[in-house]
Amino acid sequence: MYASESAKAASASESRYRITVPIAPARNARVIALDTRAASVARRISDGPWANARFYTCETTPDRGPADEFLLYRLDGVPAALDDMLRDTDVVVIMATDDSGATRAAAIGSACTARAITTAGVVLGDGFEADDAVAALRPHARVLLLSADESDAFELLRALRV
Amino acid sequence: MLRQDINELLTQTGPGTPMGDLFRQYWIPALLAEELPENDSPPVRVKLLSERLIAFRDSEGRYGLIDEFCAHRGASLWFGRNEGSGLRCPYHGWKYDVTGQCIEVPSEADNSSFCENVKLRAYPLVKVGDVLWTHMGDPAKRPALPEFEFAHVPPEQTYTSKRWQQCNWLQAFEGGIDSSHVTFLHSGGLQSDPLFKGAKGNEYNMKDTKPFFEVADSEGGLFVGARRNAEEGSYYWRITPWVMPAFTMVPPRGDHPVHGHFWVPIDDENCWTYSFDYHPARPLTAAERQAMIDGHGVHSKNIPGTYRPMANMDNDYLIDREAQKRGETYSGVAGIAMQDASLQESMGPIVDRTKERLVPADSGIIKARQKLRKAAIALRDEGVTPPGVDTAHHRVRSAAVVLPQAESFLDSCGDAIKATPGVPHSSV
Repeated sequence: MYASESAKAASASESRYRITVPIAPARNARVIALDTRAASVARRISDGPWANARFYTCETTPDRGPADEFLLYRLDGVPAALDDMLRDTDVVVIMATDDSGATRAAAIGSACTARAITTAGVVLGDGFEADDAVAALRPHARVLLLSADESDAFELLRALRV
Repeated sequence: MLRQDINELLTQTGPGTPMGDLFRQYWIPALLAEELPENDSPPVRVKLLSERLIAFRDSEGRYGLIDEFCAHRGASLWFGRNEGSGLRCPYHGWKYDVTGQCIEVPSEADNSSFCENVKLRAYPLVKVGDVLWTHMGDPAKRPALPEFEFAHVPPEQTYTSKRWQQCNWLQAFEGGIDSSHVTFLHSGGLQSDPLFKGAKGNEYNMKDTKPFFEVADSEGGLFVGARRNAEEGSYYWRITPWVMPAFTMVPPRGDHPVHGHFWVPIDDENCWTYSFDYHPARPLTAAERQAMIDGHGVHSKNIPGTYRPMANMDNDYLIDREAQKRGETYSGVAGIAMQDASLQESMGPIVDRTKERLVPADSGIIKARQKLRKAAIALRDEGVTPPGVDTAHHRVRSAAVVLPQAESFLDSCGDAIKATPGVPHSSV
């Protein structure tokens, strides 16, 4: 006999009656590695159990023009335009280990903000080498995980059900 | 979401479990000092980390925390007579000292050595501040006593309460590092609670309901920074420290005392929430102390003689739908503490984290779970001492500051998030 509705509803026995249905992956995530070391991490975690996550690199291509005009690359090397990549996306996770991608971080962050796409930044390593990248991401990233490691990136994606 | 095996790893703290072993590396609150107010005061039942214990204060003022049950026939020593420097089982008169050593078995011959071989499991119990702390792990690895600032400022500057929370420790603790719920669940309290209201920071809180977060490792755990828009070109930051395994602080508001919590597993379906308020630089005023006693701020109004909140699941938390409609409370439940507890308890004794749909704003929780899991496994597999055992990790503070937009809270708040005796907290 329970003293109240709340007491009954919070009991372990009542947990059996919670509706159980498979939870579909909720996010169409795009993971962008801004620099070479981040790209290595992206390649490793891309093997995870992801349903809707797509991984991209964004390494320096100085011969291609201004730094904010850049191409992304799928992990198989196929180029992808930022506009195309962001289509049908609702969360973008940007990974950085140093400042080499700061300008691109700002451009990607702005593009996401303009399209109302939630942005998360994962700064791998001690973060000291990525101060400019962090500053560029700060206005746009709903969350910045600082001094993260590879497993944090993996756990973030898993928790988001991508 | 969390895999079921990881959820079980993080939520089970009984003897022999990885998280139980992790908690046993630390000094943790066992009870409030007020529960054993004088020598030979009545013993108190204490269940911690799924172990049933009895706490008492002997005739010399020594504190003891020993197995609840008499070694003879298993009667509870809660019925014991606390007298003559020991706790005597009233059934057949066996008597124990604060170390659990049996010192008298009346049925044995005078001068018998029988009782020398009878010793109950016992843990140290030490008063630091208003709290009696225990260490339930290997005595050979017993760390130095805790150095959290709330327990070290002069008594007139600090106040600690506790309340029974009817859910697993992890879902209670996770509320402590989840800054995004404040604008919703506690919005009424920001305007009316005597320990919260009137601060400039509250205006930023209410104007910007979509904070941005930055989560950074610290030596002892994490700092979670929640950022909201302030005046043009600046951000209002609220910085929450977590020290492993279960110590969190709430960012302060104005010159109000600063507060926080220690979340202690009773068993896998119940926990103690210890809630403290202190001011680093001045005594609490009589009005502040009375507000805390009355259950305002992070404290709760408890049923007299108990540590169970008056608003609890058995009375539907005294929910007041009219107050909710009038906008006095957001959820209809009064009081910051019970607003949190009502929702955390509603999840069930141990929430099924395989069914969660987390969002990037939950990254503090995601990272904390990850750190707990890694620390528990490193301890189990390699004997690695976890973060938060070193007392240097305890000397942290929460902070609330306004910074230029270009500045990182980590770079700009180094002093603000360190506990420095006598120096006021950084608050807006």
